[in-house]
Parts: sequence; structure tokens; C-alpha cells
Amino acid sequence: MGFITGNFLERKIHSFTGIIPIGVFLLEHLITNSFALKGPEYYNQKIEAFQQIPFLVPIEILLIAIPLAFHTILGLYYVYLSKNNVLHYKYFRNYMFYLQRITAIVTFLFVIYHAYTARIARAISGIEISYEFMNGILSQPLFFIIYLVGLLAAVFHFSNGIYTFAISWGITLGPRSQKILQNVCTALFLIMSGAGTVGLIALAG
Amino acid sequence: MKVIVIGGGLAGLLSIIKAAEAGAEVDAFSLVPFKRSHSICAQGGINAALNTKGENDSIQQHFEDTIVGGDFLANQTPVKGMVEAAPGLIYAFDRMGVMFNRTSEGFIDLRMFGGVKNRRTAFAGATTGQQLLYALDEQVRKWVAAGKVKEYIGWEFLSAVIDDEGLCRGITAQDLNSMEIHAFPADAVILATGGEGMIYGKSTNSVICTGSAAGAVYQQGVSFANGEFVQFHPTAMPGDDKLRLMSEASRGEGGRIWTYKDGKPWYFLEEWYPAYGNLVPRDIASRAIYKVCVEMGLGVDGKNQVYLDLTHKDPEFLEVRLGGIMEIYRNFYGEDPVKVPMKIFPAPHYFMGGMYVDSNHMTDIPGLFAAGECDYMYHGANRLGANSLLSASYSGYICGPNAIKYMKGMKKSAADVPQSVFDRELTRQKDIAESIYRMDGIENPYVIHEELGEVMITDVGVVRYEKSLMRGDNKLQELMERFKNIGIHDTGRWANEVVPFVRQLWNMLQLARVITLGAFNRKESRGSHYMPDYPERNDDQWLKTTKAYWTESGPRFEYEDVDVSLLKPRARKYD
Amino acid sequence: MLDYIHLKIKRQNGSRDFPRWEEFKVPYKPNMNVLSVLMEIRKKPVNANGEKTTPVVWDCSCLEEVCGACTMIINGNVRQACSALIDKMPQPITLEPLSKFPVVRDLKVDRELLFEHLKKVKAWVNIDGAFDLGPGPRVPERERRWMYEISRCMTCGCCYEACPNFNSRSSFIGPAPLAQVLRFNKHPIGAMTQEERMETIMGEGGITDCGNSQNCIEACPKNIPLTTAIAQLNRDTTIHGIKNWFRK
Repeated sequence: MGFITGNFLERKIHSFTGIIPIGVFLLEHLITNSFALKGPEYYNQKIEAFQQIPFLVPIEILLIAIPLAFHTILGLYYVYLSKNNVLHYKYFRNYMFYLQRITAIVTFLFVIYHAYTARIARAISGIEISYEFMNGILSQPLFFIIYLVGLLAAVFHFSNGIYTFAISWGITLGPRSQKILQNVCTALFLIMSGAGTVGLIALAG
Repeated sequence: MKVIVIGGGLAGLLSIIKAAEAGAEVDAFSLVPFKRSHSICAQGGINAALNTKGENDSIQQHFEDTIVGGDFLANQTPVKGMVEAAPGLIYAFDRMGVMFNRTSEGFIDLRMFGGVKNRRTAFAGATTGQQLLYALDEQVRKWVAAGKVKEYIGWEFLSAVIDDEGLCRGITAQDLNSMEIHAFPADAVILATGGEGMIYGKSTNSVICTGSAAGAVYQQGVSFANGEFVQFHPTAMPGDDKLRLMSEASRGEGGRIWTYKDGKPWYFLEEWYPAYGNLVPRDIASRAIYKVCVEMGLGVDGKNQVYLDLTHKDPEFLEVRLGGIMEIYRNFYGEDPVKVPMKIFPAPHYFMGGMYVDSNHMTDIPGLFAAGECDYMYHGANRLGANSLLSASYSGYICGPNAIKYMKGMKKSAADVPQSVFDRELTRQKDIAESIYRMDGIENPYVIHEELGEVMITDVGVVRYEKSLMRGDNKLQELMERFKNIGIHDTGRWANEVVPFVRQLWNMLQLARVITLGAFNRKESRGSHYMPDYPERNDDQWLKTTKAYWTESGPRFEYEDVDVSLLKPRARKYD
Repeated sequence: MLDYIHLKIKRQNGSRDFPRWEEFKVPYKPNMNVLSVLMEIRKKPVNANGEKTTPVVWDCSCLEEVCGACTMIINGNVRQACSALIDKMPQPITLEPLSKFPVVRDLKVDRELLFEHLKKVKAWVNIDGAFDLGPGPRVPERERRWMYEISRCMTCGCCYEACPNFNSRSSFIGPAPLAQVLRFNKHPIGAMTQEERMETIMGEGGITDCGNSQNCIEACPKNIPLTTAIAQLNRDTTIHGIKNWFRK
């Protein structure tokens, strides 16, 4: 029983971290982005407020970096463990299962890029995140598309993750409750994607 | 102490369990994983006089129904033992986790079956055989995990190893993947190899039910008893590859048999047999359907088929109590029995006859036992529905301990038998296999098998004329001649299915003659054996067990009196 | 309507042999299924090119979809060959052996693993012996119905074949044995040894290796509520895990 062996505890933690804190962090991002709708100044004001949180770096490491790394590393291994077969078994859930793994990889690549440009590079060079900074990136069509794809992948991975989380923790048992949650998750995906896209457009100016 | 059990159906698995419980080491041989044995196809239920429905059912009534149902040909003392043990067996199955349908109070529910007046049949939906088999399979798996039972799955039994004193000392068997043949010593061998439906080509049986094992030991000196008694199940779906069983439970739960006469539904069983109606024993129902279709020409759509109608029943009731067969009918026929009556016709189903055994289930060869459908013991001339799961279980249940008892009384064990005894039989079997590999004639074994089935169904079927039986035996002998001219189209030494089939085919032909000639000789009508030339039962001459012995020139018959110590033979009436 | 049935069969002599495709054309008859076509080939083993060949090797027993033996991949999907009705399928019909088990020959595979997994999870009621101890525990009919649903599993391997998380890279125990664990854990006598089963499925390759693709329930020919069973066990194992953690 050890790391990366399909151990019960590690799988459970993997599943849990996907919702808390990573999912919460994703929601926070979408909300922050939407501040751009109220204009660059309001956005900058809010961002600044975030930067004022005491012990920001330890919090970022403990509540974001470590869970994210844990979820990512194990998750990639889990992606490796499955052999997809959507070509033969064209079931809705099988497509979802496949997309969950595709979006895992897309989100992973995007988060690396995004974390580097928006957090690590900043820490090195000292440039503060601001409306102007984000606008500089997102006003370029290529980067806008990269951000849009990253956003949709992350939001899909999260909303579909809620569906599987509810099964993995034994919350939704039967087909009916799972079906209802499926609909809720689909709605969540649509709302979050919409809100996120609007935020991106606002940031793109 | 080592026991070998051949076969992984109910009888085999209970033999294994009881032998293991008694402390013996068991080698268990089976053609297929135990879970795929033919017991799985049993649907309707298992009889035991649990008397939980307030109908004053009793063990004595179960006994009488069984004996009368079998037209008095069953030895009565063993039957008595079986029906007495039945409730206990059900309880043991229950504790193993069999999902018997329950009453609203949580007791085991019972339903009606053919040839009886009381509800006596415990059931798990319409897949009772499957559920019992799985429960035993699970228990055996426990013994395998504990290291007391060793499985040989995908091995075929070839012959018994018989020493110079005439005692069975083990077996020879072939691994059907590697094709290797080995001899296995044992102090006792239990054959639980089931029926031989494949002799009829198409039947309700699984394709593994060739009777080959019984045919093999018959040629080694075991007598085959009551072979001529073949049960035709009245309600099976006609089909090209198989005649799929539609359980008697469908009638037990209220299903009605009918066809059109003068443009109106005609419930002929209810008209002819008002006392039992649709629930007459199987031989009688099969003959009635045969008569309506073949003799009166009143089959549905002009074909050999009549309706089995459940459409008047509540759909949910049907799903809970008959779900398994509803599913089979839907999957294979594409119509829903809830809405449309099923089309059915009688099909070869069960062999009341089998290897002759004594009350300990030992065959003519000491040390060689037989249990389950492959023995002849409990059903006489016709088996009542839901008594087969009982007899299979019960015979396994007592056969295991009987084998142990026999072993304890032995003068010397198989380990002390000279190796040459095993080598001799091993060489003989290897020679047989090699001679099959060398067959390069023009006949295809599968075609011969198909023709064998046609001979049996036409000439040794529901109705048997003296003339047709004679003709049938002649055709069988022709097939045996043609057998020698078989050419095998696969000479591979890995997972070759043709070579074993040719060997099985020979054993099937041997038993086919036992069935046919046994029927020809029996100049009366009794139970499933109906000869219009001799339409009455004749107790003076034929209240006797048929025993067929193998000789070079064909079966030799002997007859033995039936044990009628408990119930005096009387006329068998259901109308 | 074609007057013959066109089959493409993946053939292989042992697991180390290189697979090849062979085509067959069998005269059409109404109401045939894949097995009865294979049986016809056996009676006249000649391929579509008119060349003599060996009869195709495959597993089958009951021919009524209760034994599970004849499971294979038909037109890309896993199912039982006996209930694969020719009149309801597009042609040519491709037949392949199950891909996740070692091939014995042609369409015959070795599924011993399935039974090993049942052994691993102790899928049995641990009774003292097969003898008469009087009636067993009373069971409410409602409870019995869903346990019966699960106990109809014929260990055919469809759920394994369709499960993306059961493959050569993973040690996942598979959907079928998990459902059996639930059934035995809820049986009044089986429940007495439920801890053992619980510990097994919380170990390596256990229940958490399920990735919720839910292919199992789609592929199961017996409509066994596999996903509900797995979700229920997720709940049970979580509670069991938390309880145990606090007990230590």
C-alpha cells in the first residue's frame, strides 16, 4: 500500500481535492474575472484586495499548490491507467469519461502556462497582475483562444468531476439521482462557461 | 483419501462439498467453469414439502406424487429418502444465500407445479437452477481457496481406470487446450456428468450434455438403466440451434395452453384433464400437444406449435416470478410474452434413465459412483417438474459421504495400485485419440451428429411405434458404419475441438442404441414411453428396471424388479 | 436480402500466434444467430475463397444467454453470440475474441481471472457446512429482489471488456465482483464477514480504481445494477474507513 498504487486513501484525497480546494479556487477565479465587467478600475481594486491577504504565499502553497500538484500528478497517472474505448462503446457516460481525461491534460497544460505567466513570472519579475496586464495577453486572438480552451476544459473537468465525486463518495446511488445530478452538472457547466467567457471578453477589452 | 468428482453441476458440486467437509481431498474435473454447467438452465424451482402455504402438504404426499408421476417405475425407498431430505436441503441452500422468492412475511415462497395439487416448489424467479448452482459454486470456491479442492477446468473425462480386481482406481482425462491426456489416481470417482440431450441433436440441454462420460463407462462395464425413458418437455421454443425451455412454472403461475379449433381458442388440456388442467405431468402434456399438432393438424399457423398464454396475468407479477424466461423469449423470439402468447412445442429435455447405481449411488464398478441426471434413480418413467433440482442435489448430497464411507472400508488405497494399471488405460486412451487424429475419410462428424438427432427425434420421440424403433436402430447402425469413414478437418494439437467431438459422438451413438432398443423391447406404455402398439401399462411383465450392458454387437438387456415396498402400484390418472 | 451470411472472423492459434482474418459465406436461413452460423461452418469448413480450413474454435454451452460462455466481440461490441440474431445485424459481421483475456484459440479465451477475482473478494456466504440447521434467516421480499438481480451475474466478462479502467496497466478488480461484495455484505449471514470483503476492496485494485465511466451497466447483458452497487459500496467503504480511522 503506497503512493500511486490505487490505494483507497490516496484516491479519496484525489477526488476530494478536485472539489476542495481546487474547484473552489476555480470558482474564485471566475468571480474575480467577472469583476472586469465593471471596468478596469474596479477589477484592479479587487485584485489588489486579494494581494493584501495576510500570509498569502503560505496560503497559496498549502491550499493551492500542494493540493493542485497532488491532484495533477495522481490524476495524470490515472489517465495513463485507463485505456479509452469510445470508438466501440458509444455511451454518453463513456464520452464523458473520455472527455474528463482529455480535459485533465488540457487543463494541466493550461494551468502550467497560466501559473507561469500569471504567478511565477510575476514573482520573479515583480510585475503586478492588473487589468492592463491581462488585457495585454487576451487582446491577442491566439492567446484569447488558449485562455478560452483552458477555461472550458477546466470548467468541464470541474462540473463533470462533481458528478463522479458524488458517486465516488456514495452520495448519488441510483440511476435517478445520478441523472438529476447529471442535469445539474450540465447546467453548472453552461453557466460557468458562459460567465467565464464573458469575463474573458471583458478582460480582452 | 482422494476423491475425483467429474462434473460441476448441482450433483457434482454438492458431492465435492460433502466430500471436502468429510475431510477428503477432492480433484474436481469439469468441461466448463462450474458456473457454466447445465444445472444453470433449470428454471422453475425445486420441490420440498415445506408446507408453508397452509395446504397440509406433507412428505408422504410429495412421495406419492413423485411415485405416481413416475408411473411406479422408481424404486420407492430411495425416493422416500429424497423427499424426506428435501426440506433440509432447501434450508441449507437458503443459508448459502440462494435468493428464493419470499412471502410477505419473509418465508420461502412456494408455487404450483405439474402433477401435484399443493404448492411445493421453492423458486428464485425463473432461474432457480442458476441460483442453486451459483450458491454451490461459491461454496466450492471457498474450499478451493482453502486448498482442499483442486479444480481441473476444461478437462474432459475419458474413462475410468479399473484395476485387475475390477475396482475403479482413478480416471483418464484430457486437457482440452493442450490436448494432453493424463491418468489421475483416486480412491473413489463420482460421475456427475448430467444428461445426454445432444443425442437428440436439438433439445433443451446445453451443448456439453453429450452423455459421453456415461457412454464411456457403459462400454467399460457399467450398466445403463431405463435408457428408454426420455422426458419431452411440453413447452419449449422451437429453434434452429436449440429448443429453449419455457419453464413449467409458467403454467404453475397460471399459464394456459391453447390452439385454435373452429376459429376459437381451444384449451385442450383443460378440456381433457379437468382435474389437473394445464398442470398435468409433462409426458401427458407433451403427448396432448403432439396429438393436437401432428395427429389432428391443429397447430398454430399450421406448424408444430401451440400457444402458452400468460397475457392475462399482471406484468409485474410475471416479471418477479418468471422474469428469466420472459427475457429469453424476448431476446430470442423478439415478442413480449406479457402481450402475446408464446409459441411452444415439446422438446427432449430430461433423461430419467442413466447409469445403474445401488442405494449408495455406486455403479456396477466398485469405487465408481454416479449422481445427478446421469444416474437413473429417482424418477421412474417420468419426472415431475422441479424434482430434478431436488434429485441432483440430494444424490450429490449423499454420494459424497457414501464415497468416503466406501474409501474407509477399502483394503488398499489407489496409491498402492501398481503404476502399470494406470499406464495401461492411459495408453489405450492415447491410442484412441491418435486413431481419431488419423481419420481421413469423407464423413463430417457434425453432419453425422445432426443425422443422429434426426433419427432420434423422428423414430424415438414422443410417440414410438415398434416399426419406427426398428427403423431407428437400423439407421443408428448405419451411422456407426459411416462413423468409421469420418475425416477430421482439424489435426491441430492445440485446443482442437473436432477430435474430442468425434470421441463424444461415438459414445453418443452407443447410448442412442441403448435408448432405442430399450424402447423397442419394452412392450408397454408407461410414463414418457408411449407405444401405440401397446397403449397400456403392463405391470405383470414390465414393472421392471431395464439394465443395458455393453457388448461388441450391441446392448444386452437384463431386467430387475422395482422396489414397490411403500406404495402399491395403482392406475395413474390425472383427468 | 442477401442469400448468404458474410462473416469476418479473427483467428489465432494460441495467445502468442499472430491473428489473421478469415472470411466466410454461409447460406442464409431465417432466425439464425451467430452460434448457429458457426455451427454451419463446422459442418462445412470452407472459407469465402472456397479454401478448406479448420472449423472455428469458440466457447459455448447453454445457447440461451444464461451461462455466459459464448461472450465475444461482435461488430466491435462485447456480447453473447447466442443471442446475437443475424436478422438484426448489419453485415459483414465481424467476430473477435475478448481483447482483455488471453486467447486460447480463435474466439475462445481464458477467463480464469474472473473467478480468481471472485475468490479474492470472498464472494460467498461463509456457512459452517452444507447441512440442515433448520430454516435460514427470514428475508424481506423487497431486499431479496435487488440481491437476486445481482446474483444473476453469469461472470461472462462483458463489464470487464467494456471497462476502460480494467486493462493490462491497471490492477482493477472489475465491476462484477464489486457487485457480488455488496450482495454478500447485505445478506443476513454474509454480513457477519463483511469486514474481510470490505478490506479487500479498499486495497490495491479495489473499488476506488473505478473511474465512473459506467460502461459496465451498459454492457451488462443481464442489466445488473452494477453502478448502483458500486456507488453503494463507495458509501459503505467510506463510512467503514472513517469509523476504522477513529477507532485506532
